[in-house]
Amino acid sequence: MKYFKLTAALAAATTLLLTGCAQEPSAVAPQSSTDQMQGTQAEDLRTNETWAKAAEHGMSAAFGELRNEGASTLELESVTDKTHGTVIEIHDTQGQGAEARMAQHEGALLIKPAEEVVLTPGGTHFMYMDLKTELVASQTSTLQLNFSDGSSAEVQFPIRNFSGANESYHGSPEEHADHEGH
Amino acid sequence: MAAANVQPTRRVVLGGSAAAAIGGVFAGFGAGRATAAENGGAAPKATTAAHNPRFQPFHGKYQAGILTEPQAHAEFLGFNVHFEELARSEGIERIRSILKMLSTDAQRLMSGRGVLADTEPEMSHAASDLTVTVGVGQGLLDVLGYKSAFLGKLPAFAGEKLDARYGQSDLIIQCCAQDPTVLHHAVRALRKNLRGITEPAFAQSGFLHAAHPVLQGPGFRNLFGQLDGINNPTGEARELAVFGDAQEPSWIAGGTTLVLRRIEMNLDKWDEVDRAGRDFALGRRQSDGSPLSGTKPTDPVDLQAVDGLGLPAIAAHAHVARAKPETADEVLWRRGYNYHETQSSGLLFASYQRDPRSSFVPVQRRLAQVDALNEWITHAGSALYAILPGVAEGKYLGEELFSQNKQ
Repeated sequence: MKYFKLTAALAAATTLLLTGCAQEPSAVAPQSSTDQMQGTQAEDLRTNETWAKAAEHGMSAAFGELRNEGASTLELESVTDKTHGTVIEIHDTQGQGAEARMAQHEGALLIKPAEEVVLTPGGTHFMYMDLKTELVASQTSTLQLNFSDGSSAEVQFPIRNFSGANESYHGSPEEHADHEGH
Repeated sequence: MAAANVQPTRRVVLGGSAAAAIGGVFAGFGAGRATAAENGGAAPKATTAAHNPRFQPFHGKYQAGILTEPQAHAEFLGFNVHFEELARSEGIERIRSILKMLSTDAQRLMSGRGVLADTEPEMSHAASDLTVTVGVGQGLLDVLGYKSAFLGKLPAFAGEKLDARYGQSDLIIQCCAQDPTVLHHAVRALRKNLRGITEPAFAQSGFLHAAHPVLQGPGFRNLFGQLDGINNPTGEARELAVFGDAQEPSWIAGGTTLVLRRIEMNLDKWDEVDRAGRDFALGRRQSDGSPLSGTKPTDPVDLQAVDGLGLPAIAAHAHVARAKPETADEVLWRRGYNYHETQSSGLLFASYQRDPRSSFVPVQRRLAQVDALNEWITHAGSALYAILPGVAEGKYLGEELFSQNKQ
């Protein structure tokens, strides 16, 4: 797995390089660029293996690896779904199995220099609170990651079927069982 | 087409090997030892890949799994896409997103990584020559606006008893590997990812010999015990038969077509046939695949040869006599697999050819009309697919189909 330092010059190439195959790349596109030499928080972000769980309605979640290639801590304050307007929260999962409970992350999600935060089922993740539109398997959900310095990055989350990651669905009517249709 | 009309003008490359390649098309019935001849007598390398499993490249001019020497295990997955509730533009985008996802999945699986969101990525780690090959049926091409079908559907053939369960689907994914566990994981991962957006049509598993060498030459033992694929084209002749050339191209550059036929074998009835009867029906000897007109597997199928009594060595209705290509255009590359299920055994006949109308269809018409083997076989499944061109880095499978200019 490779992470790539993203600069304006590299932006075009990133699409190809991030996954080495260019299909549904986890490309990061900084929305605001201030002084490029300094580098915004968005520009220091690398993402990898991003994906979101397919769901018709209700809640869902997005996962992946967020890495800080910069020299100062990234402070991810919020995540927005600009395309469809679904509210996205950053959640942590506490406990395991049937005891697993989810809670909103307190404050900004911090990513220290040269470190990464892995968003994973059963761990920290981005939560779609009440889907405004269906997350269809094989399509891609684009989320905007907003940092404390005002910069933001668009990240692609390819949508995949996933039967797990139900920790968050406690007390929710939808625990749709997926059927493979054998 | 009478033999007198045969004019294999096409393909200089076939000049040398055409005779050998033309020696027999179907079940096995041929002498792919053409390889040995082409290599100046060197031993055929047909099973080399099986000895040293590795990772097959995803990117290339052609998709992997076509010219690739057959791996030990295969699974053919058919899917139909839910278009009903979609507007046409949505249907097109649905196809695009599916092909993008399959491109990602295929590349990841073939390189030994799990797919995105894989719950068992460890199962994909072993090098096993996994290939994932994708094609589409005419139904899907219709949605994309390719109605002036190069492809269409296979015609009906006499004697077939088709089971709708093994019929035409919108999508075909051929998965092959030397290792059945790696293969299963790939199949499982692909099916999971397609859940909800497609309907599984069929999943047909096939096998050859284990990944260690069993045979010295090309081909495999089918469930009748016959050496199947002896006469398959090799090298450049294979590539030409599958992908065509500038003068006689396939439906799209770098693409080809796949015929998938499920041929049930009545093994219990076959048990009743003695060795001589079996060899007579096929036109080749079960022992070593040699034609009844010769003594070695590499000997040509000679329909003029006579035995000691002055009778034809190979009967006119023997399988090899009927299957023998009458033109260079009829040469196809058979890449079939044995199958065995609780109630049924036989051959998953899979052939790649640049144009089925000039190759598979006329050959199968002859066989359906008269073939001594028909007494023991029944064609139960039939489907035809346009196999997508290979994928360059940064592209996805079938990207060419989404341009504005429809053919």
